[in-house]
This record gives sequence, structure tokens and C-alpha cells, in this order.
Amino acid sequence: MNDFLFVALAVIAALGAISVVLCRKVVHMAASLIVALSSVAGIFFSLNANFVGATQLMVYVGGTVILLIFGVMLTSMSAKAELKTTPIEAIAALASSVLLLLVFTFTVGSVSWSEHFKLLAGDAAVPKNLVEQGSSSFSSVALALVGVRTDQPNAHSYLLPFEIISIHLLVVLVAAGYLARPRGTQQEADSTAE
Amino acid sequence: MQPLDFSTVIQTLTQNAQNVWMPHFFPEVVVCVTIVLILLASICLKRTARTTFALALIGLLVALCGIGSQLNVVGSGVSANPGEYFGGVLIWDGFTVPVRGMLLLFAILALSLSGSTMKFGARDATDFYTLLLGSTLGLLVLAQSNNLLMAFVGFEMASIPGYALVGFQRHRLRSSEASLKYLLYGAAASGVMLYGISLLSGLTGTLSVSQLGSHVAAIGSQATGATASHAVIFSLLLIFVGFAFKLSLVPFHFWAPDAFEGASAEVAGFLSVGGKVATFSLLVRMSLALSGSMTGEAAKLVLPLGIGLGVVAMASVTFGNLAAYFQKNVKRLLAYSTIAHSGYMLMAVAALLVLRSPEGASSGIDVKQVTQQCIEGLVFYLFVYVFMNIGAFGLTALMRNHFGSEDLEGVKGFGRVFPIHGACLVVCVFSLVGLPPLGGFWGKFVVFYSLFMASKISTFMMVVLLVGGLNTVFSLFYYIGILKAVFLGEPREGSSSLVAASSENGLAMLIALPILLLGMFPGAATDFASEMARSLVR
Amino acid sequence: MTGDPLSILVWLSAIFFLCGFLCMIVKRNVIGMLIGVELILNAANINFVAFGQLSRLGIDGQIATLFVIVLAAAEAAVALAITLVFYNSHSTIDADRGESLRG
Repeated sequence: MNDFLFVALAVIAALGAISVVLCRKVVHMAASLIVALSSVAGIFFSLNANFVGATQLMVYVGGTVILLIFGVMLTSMSAKAELKTTPIEAIAALASSVLLLLVFTFTVGSVSWSEHFKLLAGDAAVPKNLVEQGSSSFSSVALALVGVRTDQPNAHSYLLPFEIISIHLLVVLVAAGYLARPRGTQQEADSTAE
Repeated sequence: MQPLDFSTVIQTLTQNAQNVWMPHFFPEVVVCVTIVLILLASICLKRTARTTFALALIGLLVALCGIGSQLNVVGSGVSANPGEYFGGVLIWDGFTVPVRGMLLLFAILALSLSGSTMKFGARDATDFYTLLLGSTLGLLVLAQSNNLLMAFVGFEMASIPGYALVGFQRHRLRSSEASLKYLLYGAAASGVMLYGISLLSGLTGTLSVSQLGSHVAAIGSQATGATASHAVIFSLLLIFVGFAFKLSLVPFHFWAPDAFEGASAEVAGFLSVGGKVATFSLLVRMSLALSGSMTGEAAKLVLPLGIGLGVVAMASVTFGNLAAYFQKNVKRLLAYSTIAHSGYMLMAVAALLVLRSPEGASSGIDVKQVTQQCIEGLVFYLFVYVFMNIGAFGLTALMRNHFGSEDLEGVKGFGRVFPIHGACLVVCVFSLVGLPPLGGFWGKFVVFYSLFMASKISTFMMVVLLVGGLNTVFSLFYYIGILKAVFLGEPREGSSSLVAASSENGLAMLIALPILLLGMFPGAATDFASEMARSLVR
Repeated sequence: MTGDPLSILVWLSAIFFLCGFLCMIVKRNVIGMLIGVELILNAANINFVAFGQLSRLGIDGQIATLFVIVLAAAEAAVALAITLVFYNSHSTIDADRGESLRG
């Protein structure tokens, strides 16, 4: 049952991603994106990465995609505007996708993963149980984010990115605020300040 | 999993923070605090552009002093403590500390430049300096990251404020257009890079840069090594797309002319230099990790990688110089020259990879010493580049302020009206060409020398060397074109009464003087650079 | 292709990457291109979680995904602001309409 669900989710996600490319209206693209991203969240759940799956649903599907849909609503004169593809673009796209697919098939696609990791797991640096059971525990993720690794004592811990990303978000907020600020009011504000 | 004692965790964390993290990470913490202070001050105090500028400058100076107190790690000979720190995601050694110093110095120059030449209201000033510092923080993190995820975070932290900085002049149509193009290409490049990181980390099972080498070697030596090694190469190529974008290398250069023309000259100067210093720092670290100790299938990849970088470098240098020849706008011209200079610097990395390939080890050359020379050349080149490129873009900003134009036609006679600016421009431009006795000459010289050494292993490097040399000669013509317009052209009527502010003159000389000094007395700087290289290659 | 869940996921992420890449080439609308970027970022996310849970990358994979999600949100915010500025000055969000700058 679980395997069936997993494969079904993967198929839905792939179809969603493909329909993003094939849709001509931006709103339909965004809708297909929601389908694709939600099924990816489902895959995360089925892989035992519950927290990541929930974040994917809340922040990605619920935040980022909605932001993009806002963009559609605020900019396009008609949300129904169709995007036409010229034949040259279509040929270029087809050629590059065939090329990329070939590259994938001969590099990443042809690695037999189970063999690959069976051989690598002999490596002393890697605890074997990790490969077998798949660490699902949310607490070890949380602890790694505050700088303590409980699963692999020698692995990197991520306190710094966790903290410094807050400064980054602050800067991004300032950037977005600056760009979105209407132009007229800013001169008035300056003249009162000086 | 063992049961965790909460109080021990807290205790370890505070101890680490007090003894290791804070002393070594002090400069970045100062930059963070400065960002917050600037924003707080804009709420609480009566805001003027001047107070914000002063705050930002003081913050960066304090951070630079913090780096200064750490500089004794260079050349101390002992293995640097703590090495990997902050949970292993950052690295602290004789190489990264001076690179961070370089970045902070460069940020100070860019900040003082925009403080003295950009005219904006108090509210805009707050935003501008916040973005500038935020981007600098990202560069600092990127330069010292020892973890691919941390590197990606730093990459984004440096880029996203950059997109907004390019679009900072909202009243100009070109500015918003340039920032949109920069954003789209940048987002795509960072996405591709992230995909490469995800594949590489999956194949090797680690995100650590310093362990990358041993893990890739382990893949190469096993039975399924051939296909897995191909996958590793593919993921490395994807990661390189991100680097090439940041370094504006051909074929990922097309954003640079547009973004630089649309941005103000100060911002263009900031973007052209900062990304290079930080990205090359990480690129060198990754190249060292991936070469040298390889065995089996993976070892066969090092030489082709080096030759591939050589091809990209040749293409960048040739294309940048050819395209620059036809430009009418000074900022566009400098953008193409930026592309060419990235190519010259990449030649050093290409030489490094060729030298550290297995073929190099069996050739009888003292690989360690020559590798150090590659890094020494790159570091010296970057250090001079900080000054000469900021100088060239800064003088373009002054042209815009005084003559209201950035076209070669419009700036005629600039050097006659402002002799000091003209003299500084001569220094910067001749140094960009690489004429002795200026700093740029020694940078190119050492890089070309390391190419020559690498050509003993692969004759292809000789081709790279020849292309680089020919291009240096060729670049003279378009750089001379700037000087011709600035000195031989007749100034516009009425422009002879213009007077440059003394602060402008001072800043221009402050930037030009190190170029002269580095050119005439390169000894101290090259010694320092080779100490840095020695702490990286043991 | 085998029934191995890891190789299914790697192929799924390859499809996501390919679709995102195609979106970037084919779509002229800025929002369409940004959607392509989101697909590429998600391709990386699938890889990270798959390698993290099914191979030896461990919880690093989950943590990487969390950071990517946050960074993508930040990037989307700035992208939207820049798009709006462009739209206000050009009255279009066709990336091809910007004719004044040609690389």
C-alpha cells in the first residue's frame, strides 16, 4: 500500500511538473505548480521527513506560490493572457531537453544506487544503521540546527546558517520594502527629515 | 540515540561561543550588529544620509580591525587553530583570514565611494547601506565556507541584495530592466548550482568541502566507479555554472554588461569585485580538495577539469576583450573588461588543477611549490584588482557627476578639467592593461608564470598562455581609447569652471596610490600572498 | 530504471529540473520564468531529502531542504518586488520587451 502511494505521488508530481511547462496561461502554470509541490510534500511525508514535508506545504505551497500568484494578479493585464511559443524556441527547447535527458541517462541515471552505497558503506566514517533505517527523528534535525549533532558526532552542525539567515531575511525585507515603496512619498519624507 | 543532557548541551554551546566562535567570527558579528544598528538608528534618531554613512563606515572599520588582530595566523607556521569551526561549516586558516580582510577593505572602499559620489535622500541611504552591508556579509560567509550548503547560503546572501542594488535607481528605466535580467539569470544560475550540490552531496554522502576529496576518491576507487565518476563530473559542472555566473565567465557572462550599465557605477564596481574575491576563494578550496590525493577513476578527471577551465578562461578573455573594443559606454566597456579579467584569474586555477593532476606528480616538477605560486599569483591579482577596478568604476561615477555622461563621447576632456582624476584614471587603466610598473603587471606576470610551469605537463596550457598574452596586448587598444577620449578630446564648453571636491581627489588618490605601491614594491605583498598559499597547500 | 525508490526519486528530480529549465527557456513572462526557478529548486529539494532518508547523507539532507525553502521564499519576495518595479515602468512583464539593454 505504502509503495503504491509512493509511486502514485511520484507520478502525480512528475505530471504536475510537465503540465507547468505545457500550460500556456500563467495562472494554470501556478495551479500545476501547486499540484507538483504538494505531491512532493507527500513524498517527503512518505520518506519519514515529516517536518520538511510540513514546511514544504506551509512555506512553499502556502507562501512562495501564493506570492507568485500575487505577482500574476498585480502585473498581468489579463490573467488569461496566453504565452505563445515560436517554432524556433520550441525546437531549441526540444533539442536542449533531449540533450539534457541523454546526459542524465548516462551520468546520474546509470548509477546503480544500491550497489553504489553498499560499496561506500564499507567506509568507516559512515555509521551503517543510518543507511538502513533512515533517520526520521525530528529532534536530531532540531538539535543540529542549534549546533549539536546526535546522530553523527563528527558531522557538521548548522547553527551558523540558522542564525545568519535571520540577518539575511532582514536585509531582504529592507530590499523588498525599498523597491515596493511608492516613489512620490519618499521625496516628501526626505524633505521633512532634513 | 543516547539520551541528551540539556544542561551539558547548553554548557558546550556557551563554551564554544566564548572561546572559539566569537573571537574568530567577530568581524562578521560586527557587520550583523551594524546592519541592525543602522536600521534602529533610522527609526530612533533624526536620520540623515551622513549619520547612516558614518555608522556603516565605523562598523566596517571595527570589523577590519578585528581581522587585523587575527592576521598573525598568516605565516606563523603552526597549523591554524581552530581550523574548521562553527560546527565545521566555516574554516579559519591563513588563507581565509586575509581574504576576509580583503573583502572588508573592499567594502570600505565601495562604501566611501558611494558615500561621496551618490546623492540620495536619508531614507534611501539607510536602505542602500543596509543592502551593501548585507551583501558584504554574504561574501564574507561565502569566502570562508567549508560546507556546500553554507556556501549556497552565502551565495544567495551576497546575490539577493545585489539584485536590489542594481535596481536601486528606480526612476531609471534601464535600472529596473537591468535588475530584472540580473535577477532572472542569477536565480537560474543559483538554482542550477543548488541542483549540482544536491547531486554531489548525494553521490559522496557529505556536504563538507574539506572531505569532498577523500569521498570522491572513495567513489572512484570502487567497482562502479566509472559511471559514478561521470555523475560526479556532471554535478561539478552544474556547480561550476553558479561560480561562472558569479565570476561572469563566458558563456555565463551575458548579465554583466546589462547589469553594470543599468546599475550606478558604484554598485557596478561593488558587484564586479566582491563576488570575484569570495568566489575564487571557494573555487580554490574546492579545486585543492578535488585534486592531489585522487586515485583510480577519479584521478583521471583532474587533468580534463583543468583543461576545461583553461578553455573557459581563454573564451572569457578573448570574448571580453573583443566585445569591449566596440563599446561606447564606459560602464559597458568596463563590464567586458571585467569578463576578461575573470578569465585571466581563472587561468591560475586551471594551472593549479593541471599541476596537481597525477600527470603532474609524475613529471618531476616540485608540484607543491608551483601550486603555491598559482595561488600566490591569484591572490596578488585579486588584491590589485580590488583597487584598480573600484578606481575605474569610481572615476566613471565622477564623470557622471561632473559631466552628466558615461559615454566615451560625453566624457571628452575629463582628464584636462580634473587633472588629479585623470592621473588616477591613467594609473587604474594602465594597471588593468598590465603595464609595468603597476600592480596589475605583477598579477598577470605571476599568473602567466604558473601557466608556463603547467605547460610542461600539458602543452595545451601553452596555448592558454599564448592567448592570454596576445589578449593583454590587444586590450591595450580599447583601454587607450578611454584615455584618448579623456585627455585628447576637447572639453565641453563651460566645463572648465568645474571644480572637484577635495574629498573626491583624496579618495581617488587613496585608491590609485596602492596600485602604484604594489607595482613598485611588490615584494612585501607577494611574500604575504605566498604565506597565504603556504597555509593552504601544505 | 528499477523499482528502487532512490532511483525513482532521482529521476523525478531530473524531470523537475528539466521542466524548470524548459520553463526558463520557453516562457517569456517573468512570473513563468520564476515558476521555472521554483521547479529547479524543488528538484534539488527532492534530491536532498531522498539522499538524506534513503542513503548516507543523513539529516543533512533535511536541513538543506529547510534552508532552500527559506531562501526560495526570500528570493521570491525580492523577485516579486523587482517585477513590480519593472511592470510599473514598462507596463509589461515580458522579459523580451526590455529592448534598451542588449547583451
